[in-house]
Amino acid sequence: MTVLAVCLSLVALAAVAHVGSSRGKQSIKEQLLNGICTIALRLVQLAFAIHCSFQAWVQDSLSQAQIDMQQLLEGDDTDMVLTKRQELSDLLASLPQKPEHLAVVLPEASVRENEAIGDMLAGETDDVEALCAWSLLAKIPRLSIYSRDGSLSRSFDSIAGRLRNSKMVARGFNGRTPDICLESSTRSEHICAHSDSASRPDIYISLWSRENGYPLLAKLAQRLSRRVQAGELASTAITESLVADELRDPHGFKHPDLVLLLDDLPCVNEFPPWQLQNSELVQIHSGARSLGDAVYRALVCFAKIEMRWGK
Amino acid sequence: MQLKYLLILAIAGLYVLIAGSYKPTLPLHAQCKQILEYLQKQQRRLLVRVAKQGRIPQHVAFIMDGNRRYARKRHRIASSGHVSGFYRLANVLEWCNDLGIQNVSVFAFAINNFSRSPEEVSALMSLAKEKLRELADKSSLVKQHGVRIIIAGNRDLLPGDVREAAEFAEEKTQHNRGMRLNICFPYSATDEISAAIRKVTEDVRKGVLSENDIDEQAIESRLQIPGPPLDILVRTSGQIRFSNYMLWQSAKLAYIRFVDVFWPDFSFFHMFCILISWQLAYKSIKQRS
Repeated sequence: MTVLAVCLSLVALAAVAHVGSSRGKQSIKEQLLNGICTIALRLVQLAFAIHCSFQAWVQDSLSQAQIDMQQLLEGDDTDMVLTKRQELSDLLASLPQKPEHLAVVLPEASVRENEAIGDMLAGETDDVEALCAWSLLAKIPRLSIYSRDGSLSRSFDSIAGRLRNSKMVARGFNGRTPDICLESSTRSEHICAHSDSASRPDIYISLWSRENGYPLLAKLAQRLSRRVQAGELASTAITESLVADELRDPHGFKHPDLVLLLDDLPCVNEFPPWQLQNSELVQIHSGARSLGDAVYRALVCFAKIEMRWGK
Repeated sequence: MQLKYLLILAIAGLYVLIAGSYKPTLPLHAQCKQILEYLQKQQRRLLVRVAKQGRIPQHVAFIMDGNRRYARKRHRIASSGHVSGFYRLANVLEWCNDLGIQNVSVFAFAINNFSRSPEEVSALMSLAKEKLRELADKSSLVKQHGVRIIIAGNRDLLPGDVREAAEFAEEKTQHNRGMRLNICFPYSATDEISAAIRKVTEDVRKGVLSENDIDEQAIESRLQIPGPPLDILVRTSGQIRFSNYMLWQSAKLAYIRFVDVFWPDFSFFHMFCILISWQLAYKSIKQRS
């Protein structure tokens, strides 16, 4: 009787769910069927959401058994921490392949406030500091950090000040203070450990925003158009290599090999499209305990990747 | 004991009933295959109906990766993997059409794939020539559902006969008003963006466009695949990169899914799962755009 009552109420619910919004021409049978399918869809979506949450919980539980990555660089330099840090550094050095240029997509402020990924991240300045430290530990010479809304560029001074005096960054660089070249689309600063500012920096850090992507390509089109109008360049000479030359990395590095997406949503949030051409994309969800954990997982994932380049 | 015999009798009876309505002269395995295909088709129809109660994406792109590894796994030559990949493409187009997806883009051949062995490139070009004509001329998708075929890419790199087949497929379907199928062949996103920038400069030179009006929209409208905005990008075979495919379109808040199956093994269930997860994420995507 209970089963019958449940079935009847489901059918009635299906009818109410669909009859009201449907067009007059559909038969009652069609409407009921659509209503039942609507309920089935909602149940499937619920099952998916539960499955995704369960997966994230399992991943989180598994990662709790591992060492606390963040403590290795934030904590005091006890013997145990120093040993673990050295072990991790050796492990990262032994990976069969590492990126030369790491790009990290940070979520915007509104996403940090409203979504679970915000729990893994601290403020923007803290995140840049942590990413710089982890890149130095993994010996990645080029780091680009992207936030769509341009908030990183606006915090340039506070980021530069933090990196200048950072113990965390020093710990990532084996106890020494590194030379850092920090730049955004409008500013550049060489944060030197020594007075010799001509020495090659130990790491180049770029703070990117949406302005480094689509608007930059539009400005390039304007510039090339002016040259064509002035007769300096034929439009047929605008080839892929010419555009690639105009958009190459100013410090001679390749475009990002590894893009670390720190977001629960698998979208690159208008990351500069030209720079994505040969990038491996690793998404780390809110299940990661810290940025260090996220970077470590991304590097391990990158190490296993087979590069075939179209062959 | 009696229950066991009753069960065996029931199954035998059911088999006789079902077999009776099909061709009785077929061998058993063929009959079972027919029944299975029928059940799969009904299951798919039901899942399509369920999925269509929610939002349906307007534009989905596929990077059809894994054909050669699929063939190697079965100890066959690479070109047989590409043939299997083509048949899977035909299935996927059918599913997309059933779901009501209006625009589908597929990455058939990359410009840097010309660096593969000459035998493989030649086999791929022959396959493309044959299948483009077959798709445009004989496929039920084009005839019954009015699919329109557009070849996106740098055609100057194609051999003459393949270019003719591409032009034939486009001309034959140019008046169709159904699903739009963009076959990227041979294609690279950086080539597409460069070509769009070149067209912008040419249009400014001709006076069609003013220099002050050069913006993102001006470039986007001159891309080989200008729109509508890409909703979902799917890459099979477990590789997690874009491989220079639809970069402009994918970077604009497309929902990216990397699926760990080879393209010929991509099933309707994978498609269904991707669609459901996109529907769940749609609200977040819209909030960010």
